[in-house]
Amino acid sequence: MSGTITLESVTKQFPGGVVAVDDLNLEVEPGEFLVLVGPSGCGKTTALRMVAGLEEVTSGQIRINDRVVTRLPPRDRDIAMVFQNYALYAHMTVRNNMAFGLKMARMPRAEIRRRVDEAAAMLGLSDLLNRKPRQLSGGQRQRVAMGRAIVREPAAFLMDEPLSNLDAKLRVEMRGEIIRVQRRIAAPTLYVTHDQTEAMTMGDRVAILSDGVLQQLGTPEEVYDRPVNAFVAAFIGSPSMNLVDATLERDGDGLAVAFAGARIPLAADATSARPGLAERAGGPVKVGLRPEDFGRPGGAPIDVHVTRLESLGSELVAYLTPAGATDGPVMTARLDRGEKLEQGEPARVTVDVTRLYFFDAVTGDAV
Amino acid sequence: MRLLKLIAIVLIVAWSIGPIVLGITTSISTQREVNSIPTHWVPQSPTLGAYRALLNGSTGQVSGGTVVQGGDFVHAMTNSAVIALGAAALTLIVSTMAAYALGRLRFRLSGGVLALLIGTLVIPIFVVVIGLFQVMANSHLIDTKRGLILVFVATQSPLATWLLYTQVREMPHEPEEAALIDGCRRWQAFVRVVVPQMSSGIAAVAAIIVLSVWGEFLIPLLLTTTMNAKPVTVLITEYVGKYTTNYPIVAAAGVLALIPPAILALVLNKRITGMLAGSS
Amino acid sequence: MRAWRNREGDRSAREAQVLGWLFVAPAVAAVVVLILYPLVTGFKQSIRSGGFLFGEKPGYVGLRNYKDVIHDPTSQSAMRHTVEYVLLAVSLEIVLGIAIAVTLHRVFRGRGFVLAVLILPWALPSVVSGVLWRRVFDPDNGMLNSVLMQLHIISHPQVWLASGRGAIFYITLVHVWGVLPLISLIFLAGLQSIPDEVYSASAVDGATPWRQFRHVTLPLLRPSIAIALTVGTLLAISIFDEIYVLNGTALNTRSILIQVYNTTFVEADFAHGTALAFLLAVVTAVFGGLYALALRRATV
Repeated sequence: MSGTITLESVTKQFPGGVVAVDDLNLEVEPGEFLVLVGPSGCGKTTALRMVAGLEEVTSGQIRINDRVVTRLPPRDRDIAMVFQNYALYAHMTVRNNMAFGLKMARMPRAEIRRRVDEAAAMLGLSDLLNRKPRQLSGGQRQRVAMGRAIVREPAAFLMDEPLSNLDAKLRVEMRGEIIRVQRRIAAPTLYVTHDQTEAMTMGDRVAILSDGVLQQLGTPEEVYDRPVNAFVAAFIGSPSMNLVDATLERDGDGLAVAFAGARIPLAADATSARPGLAERAGGPVKVGLRPEDFGRPGGAPIDVHVTRLESLGSELVAYLTPAGATDGPVMTARLDRGEKLEQGEPARVTVDVTRLYFFDAVTGDAV
Repeated sequence: MRLLKLIAIVLIVAWSIGPIVLGITTSISTQREVNSIPTHWVPQSPTLGAYRALLNGSTGQVSGGTVVQGGDFVHAMTNSAVIALGAAALTLIVSTMAAYALGRLRFRLSGGVLALLIGTLVIPIFVVVIGLFQVMANSHLIDTKRGLILVFVATQSPLATWLLYTQVREMPHEPEEAALIDGCRRWQAFVRVVVPQMSSGIAAVAAIIVLSVWGEFLIPLLLTTTMNAKPVTVLITEYVGKYTTNYPIVAAAGVLALIPPAILALVLNKRITGMLAGSS
Repeated sequence: MRAWRNREGDRSAREAQVLGWLFVAPAVAAVVVLILYPLVTGFKQSIRSGGFLFGEKPGYVGLRNYKDVIHDPTSQSAMRHTVEYVLLAVSLEIVLGIAIAVTLHRVFRGRGFVLAVLILPWALPSVVSGVLWRRVFDPDNGMLNSVLMQLHIISHPQVWLASGRGAIFYITLVHVWGVLPLISLIFLAGLQSIPDEVYSASAVDGATPWRQFRHVTLPLLRPSIAIALTVGTLLAISIFDEIYVLNGTALNTRSILIQVYNTTFVEADFAHGTALAFLLAVVTAVFGGLYALALRRATV
């Protein structure tokens, strides 16, 4: 059950020139749940389909349990896959849907029955075994799709946005289901999604893709705290991080960052931890600040104008522009419900300077 | 406005069924009644004599008039059935495979093959018929049921393939992929998953083929000579010539000949209209 | 590291290629052997002379057969008749087709039944339609004569199928009876593709039902009319079964196809028969082309 999925320098180029996946290197460790995440069109589904054998690999190698599978048809790769729209066999009962792969492998009937019953019990499908897919709800169909994958006891699990077709509440419920099942089965799993919340809550590690290129691979904490470039920083976290174009100025012995009339001096240890900042003093820089890092006690104050205020009950979401330039960049801030702010009025909020992120103004790489 | 619409609906129904009803009443009238002047619409003394003559194949006087040659009619109906069903079955196999190959398997020249099959749709059958006669004669397939079936497979496949091809392209492709992952070879996935997925389209196309082939006239007229393979459409025109004054017999033959297609059309009405309207 | 370049032809891709060819082979074979090859053979016949049977030297004669056929008076009358058939049939089909579609457009109680019944004439073999309608046209026992005589519109029974205009009209009627269901369905589909909001908007703008029909429905039905025109024309141009069963090869009702049949199989003149057939095919192809053009223009 424990094994690995390895992608080595995998590239996919479509006829016509489009490069969907560019030199991807990835290894899913035994029992690991690795989430491949990125915006639409970033190549994550193409990468998954190459591992499944549903898409030809232009160059590179794919190994499952150190067995090279790059040119093998799907049936010879010992994998199981859960699709976005379930892909159930509409003309077969739930039981037959789950048993199909085992029948193709010519497993003895008793063994098939055992596995199907076991998986059905694990997923709460035991009462539905004789129904047809059209008689099931979306969540039930998704479970059947998972059951079909589980009974195969494959060397690797692949999942292609399985929760996208479910409504929000069901999605949260199924997230837990999938993790629970995966822990029990303990096979390496490659999970594709465009939803960064899913990625952060489910993944042991997260791989972020953009335009076919791997941006960063790391644990959820790593990609949140130490994004390797502006794209990752903006992609992870909801609401997104605020990214502002600013200039780095000298402030006595240290540095300060200035944008649109606001000026924030930087803490000394932040500057010393980032040698790249000193190099860029006097020039442009991209500054990132997460909405949740506003309003902390002890932070540096800035004067802002409150363009809009939304109350979510538990907290306030404020849309702020710097006081000096009301047509300047709009920043999103998540603030405590007690904060005294009025829509359309100026205000003063604090900014946690220890939580500022810096990126090169041109390349976007972290500084 | 309501009234106008009601009148229109009644007219539509009358227009559609009228001649059929007329045929039925004629078929149960006696020859004398039909030939009297003025003629009787509703038979005063209805009789099933015409049907008995046709179906029993008895030779002899019928409905007070001409002598009917028996046995042939039932044979002709059987021929029509065998040919229509045979052609439908064979065409479906051929077209489903072709539609799948063109719609799902990307292979070299698939575009060319598709153009070839669709292009054939424009070719009117009559320019093919004369050359076809010679091909069939050379292969000793004239006057055989299997010869006719082969011809109809060739004439029906282009449309059937196109109709099924459009369906294959609109169907979700994930179940087939799931089958490939579950251990199927391509052809196994085709048989076990794709074909069941296409079942509604296949049924509609089957109905259309059976209806078209049952109603074929020109091709069987030219390619059959004896009762070996003669379908009921050809036999009826012979009856029209032979029994010019025996209306009931001809009408009964017509009614019997229309029962199978009528039943098929009524039963599969929704599927057929769906497919025809959709493809326009 | 870009060390591994995969050779063309993944195992599963190759599988797909082979399977693809295998799966289209039967269809392609049937079409090539039983349609394309006879087509070529037929064409070769059309540019050959009739041979000794007709007192000619055998050999290729180019387009001479075609010229003969165009100048032949029997063929010309067949062409005239065919034009009449087409014009009459298509006009009736479009007018009646739209009327039927409009009537059956909105759902009403029993609509399913009416639709089922509507299809019947199309489902029946056209020779059977001919047989059924005979009772209407027969000079002695026909319905038409009886009714007209009872209404004192005519004084003695007419032999409908022997007269010129009348025969053509009645054969066209039988043909239209069989084709109308298909045309009605085409218009029905066209009507259903017109969104309801358009009617609501025009009603708000003050349009009466008749105005709505003329200025909203008809223009939006243009693609359907184009399709119906083409289908109707193609079907009418090749009219054969109805004529054969009602009037045989009688000269007053001959269509081009009946003429082809007569020339080829009764007079055994394959050369001229095929020439006429291909002439008709060219005309049909022209219409097919006009269809593609009209459809493209109508849907832009």
